[in-house]
Amino acid sequence: MTKVNSIYIIDDDPITIFGIRKMLKTIAVCNDIQDFENGKVAIDDLRNRIREGIRLPEVIFLDINMPIMDGWEFLDEFIALELKDKVIINVITSSIDQSDYQKWNDFRLNCQHYLNFKNKPIYKIEPTDLNRFNMAS
Amino acid sequence: MKTIEKVHSRYLLKQLPKATVLVNKNHEVFDFSDSWLTIFNLNANDAKGVSILQLFNNDNNSDQKQLKNCLLENGTTTLRHKKQNNQGEQWLESMFAPWFDEKENVLGTIIQTTDISEEIKKEQELKRIKTLLQAKSEIAKVGSWEYTLATEKLIWCEVTKRIHHVDDDFEPSVNEGIEFYKQGYSRNKISMLFHKAIQDGIAFNERLIILTATGEERWVMAGGKPIYENGEITKLLGTFQDIHDQVIAETKIKESKQLLTTLIENLPINVFLKDKDSKKILVNRSECEYIGADADEILGKTDFDLYDKEVAQISRDEDLEVMRTFKSILGKETISVKKDGTTTNFLTSKIPLVNLEGQAYGIIGMSMDITHIKQKEDELRNLINITAVQNKKLVNFAHIVSHNLRSHTANFSMLLDFLVKENDEKEKERIMEMLLHASDNLLETLENLNEVVEISTNINLDKKSLNLNESIIKVQQNLSALLQNNQVEVINAVSKDINVMCVPAYLESIILNLLTNAVKYKDPNRKTKIELRAEKQDKGVLFRISDNGLGIDLTRYGGKIFGMYKTFHNNKDARGLGLYIIKNQIEAMGGNISLKSEVGKGTTFNVFFNDQS
Repeated sequence: MTKVNSIYIIDDDPITIFGIRKMLKTIAVCNDIQDFENGKVAIDDLRNRIREGIRLPEVIFLDINMPIMDGWEFLDEFIALELKDKVIINVITSSIDQSDYQKWNDFRLNCQHYLNFKNKPIYKIEPTDLNRFNMAS
Repeated sequence: MKTIEKVHSRYLLKQLPKATVLVNKNHEVFDFSDSWLTIFNLNANDAKGVSILQLFNNDNNSDQKQLKNCLLENGTTTLRHKKQNNQGEQWLESMFAPWFDEKENVLGTIIQTTDISEEIKKEQELKRIKTLLQAKSEIAKVGSWEYTLATEKLIWCEVTKRIHHVDDDFEPSVNEGIEFYKQGYSRNKISMLFHKAIQDGIAFNERLIILTATGEERWVMAGGKPIYENGEITKLLGTFQDIHDQVIAETKIKESKQLLTTLIENLPINVFLKDKDSKKILVNRSECEYIGADADEILGKTDFDLYDKEVAQISRDEDLEVMRTFKSILGKETISVKKDGTTTNFLTSKIPLVNLEGQAYGIIGMSMDITHIKQKEDELRNLINITAVQNKKLVNFAHIVSHNLRSHTANFSMLLDFLVKENDEKEKERIMEMLLHASDNLLETLENLNEVVEISTNINLDKKSLNLNESIIKVQQNLSALLQNNQVEVINAVSKDINVMCVPAYLESIILNLLTNAVKYKDPNRKTKIELRAEKQDKGVLFRISDNGLGIDLTRYGGKIFGMYKTFHNNKDARGLGLYIIKNQIEAMGGNISLKSEVGKGTTFNVFFNDQS
């Protein structure tokens, strides 16, 4: 079991949130799993945490297609926060559009965070989706 | 008696007015008249005994033989000879006759001499004039003819003969002369003219065709004029001129002029000539038809008389530029606006008109009406734009469809995987609930997609005139629960007399979506107020819905507002598809939708309903 302090799930589909939460139970120990229905509420919450000095998430599950603020827009804003700690961001999509993969790759190469690309359906969450440190050691 | 006689006869000789000399057999001067002395410039004492041969021959040896012959001759002979004197050359004519005594014995020769210098001069002058006349007539190819009524004799001059291609010794009768004319008009005409000239004294000058002796057809100008003698017509004098080349050249010029005129007149292009002041000096039929007036009415007018002032000024400036620079304007796209406002697109060329001194005195203009082509071009461009938009929509739609269906099937797949592995009955029940939920979502998604497809494929829209105010009230009633729960104030300021052309179901959908959208993005910190207004416009109605909600950052989200999102979930925010659907509905009816928004202040949606179907 991997110990994670804080996890964000940003997705407008309650079934996906249900699924991720269920899968996390089998692999991770975490007392702070939050879900958000779009990028806007998530980034607002993040800003709030920074302002109040609350611990920031170490892992984010991020959907791409969402109303109001989508996954890419969230990534733009998230990178702009210039956080000191590296965060693992698992981009999750049902899209099989090549351009989405390309976009993910562009983001991956141009930011200091760890970016994973996960195509739906997901049956299992890998250790690397939660912790990069373990991998290195 | 003999002496007296002799004296008498000598005295008689002396006085003879015609220069006379008696020469003995030895050719010596025996006696003479005073007038003879004057001619030969001698005095009486010196003259006697002088050899006549010497006198005659002082300048011309070739005459010697002739002279001797004359002196020997038994009959009367004449000889022309010339003599040099201080005034120059003197022409003399001498008549020789034998000199007999009473018994018919030859004593010598009687020579009578006349000064014929004047005659010779006249003869020479005549000859000169004749030569000149001939030369003239040959050069000008003007021949002459003469007809004498009494003898019925027709005389042709050399040139006339040459024009007829006959030999110089040809002597025509009147009938022969007339038969040279080409059968038909020419021959009939000349017969009549000739007859009238003789009968009524009417002169003529006519262009006719002859068939020459060599069978060649040639144009001639035949002229004739009666000559009167004692009030009677005795002769006809006439001229005869070969004008073939001239007539052919004229015909050719006429033909090419005709060709040019026909060409210009019938070109399906507007052709016009303008002078220095841009006044029209030539217009063809196309130009007349375009302007809608006869050429007489157009000539002398400027563009300012015919077209809109602004257009006329542009045209005048072009004319001046072409005349100033000598540079043609070729195939320029221009727009012409007539006084009545009719607009025509032209492809116009303007070429400077240059005179022989190299100065521009006007312009040649050619305009081709390309209004139709232009319209077609615009239509085509529109069509391309529409096609491009449609194509983009389709790709987008296909992408969305595949994405949405995939996301649902992914959920099914994931949940089923959970179900298979799950042992806990309670958890199994939860997963089953989720599966049902996913199934409902999929159904709704399909319904929504179906709705979009329906709008896109609905070609024949049944638009009706609908009262906008009433339609708003109806939707308000349907939404009364939502509006009350959110304490929304709706101000329906749409005038009761405004109707829009719209598909009934679409109008309801549009109003409903815009109202719910305003509620959905309300600012929780103030009382929500929605204002609905409308105004009649040229080709339709502009409908406005303004709210005082959160507002949208258009620079960030402008491009996505009417897009299709993955919001087909049955959550409390209902269908995120709303704006996408109403945009499709409005555009399918020929209208458009746009918005203005400011973050923190509110949003206004503008919907244009097109009156046309």
